[in-house]
Amino acid sequence: MTPEFILGLGLILLGTMSVAWPSPKDYLTRLINLEIPAFGLLLVMLSFDEMLALLTFIAVTTVSTFIFVRVIGKREAIN
Amino acid sequence: MIGMYQTGLIAAFICIIIAFISLYQETDDLHRLILTDLAEIMALLLIALVATDLAEALILPGLVVMIAELMALAEIYLVKEGIQRKKISCPLDIEVIQTAPPILAGILVLYGIILSGFSGGAVAGLGIIFYCVCKGSDEQFALIETASGYAWVAWIAAFFIFLILPEQWFFAVMIAGGAILVKVMAKFSLIGTMSGDPNV
Repeated sequence: MTPEFILGLGLILLGTMSVAWPSPKDYLTRLINLEIPAFGLLLVMLSFDEMLALLTFIAVTTVSTFIFVRVIGKREAIN
Repeated sequence: MIGMYQTGLIAAFICIIIAFISLYQETDDLHRLILTDLAEIMALLLIALVATDLAEALILPGLVVMIAELMALAEIYLVKEGIQRKKISCPLDIEVIQTAPPILAGILVLYGIILSGFSGGAVAGLGIIFYCVCKGSDEQFALIETASGYAWVAWIAAFFIFLILPEQWFFAVMIAGGAILVKVMAKFSLIGTMSGDPNV
């Protein structure tokens, strides 16, 4: 068991809890907390040498963050 | 002594249970949309634990489905809440947004072309999205769609070369890699035009 794998699993566990029950419960906190399990998944992929999946996951996560920020921005604009 | 796969599987199932409990408790739709993304990460973790080339081959379509589903659900949410046509009233005025895009987009596109294939298309497309979001976009959709269509034809042609002339496999791999690069890049650059224009 490599250190990256253990660290990745730990980050995923902690990150899932922080996304499930964020402390100030608003959209942005949840969105930023979502980066923690994503980083844990990156470490797990790194420990298995899945380089292509890792690079594509980074690119797609950035796009999904962009989509979320757009929706949240529109939602906050009407409140 | 339990192995790597079993440990990962136990952790993944704990996370899945936590994610679905919070998804069950949630009542706000946008919170649910963000939790959907968490569920996607758990699904990708389950696939990544297989740890072979098969995992890598399964993660790529998973990511495509994830981004398509997310875009569709986000649009449905906006329509449902009736905030489709409203523009965001606070445009960001940051100096980095004016100066950084050409350099960063150039680096990303170059690196994407070197990578080639699906991942290269995603990285290069990311550069184009970044440029479009920061600088605004007025490109021709017809041109992008035409390039995407020709890339599709080249991709299919490469597969025919695989089937009919298997000894030319390297030529076919190069065609397929280049074509899927152009195709993914074109599709991604369409996302970049979503930000400001209410008609897109």
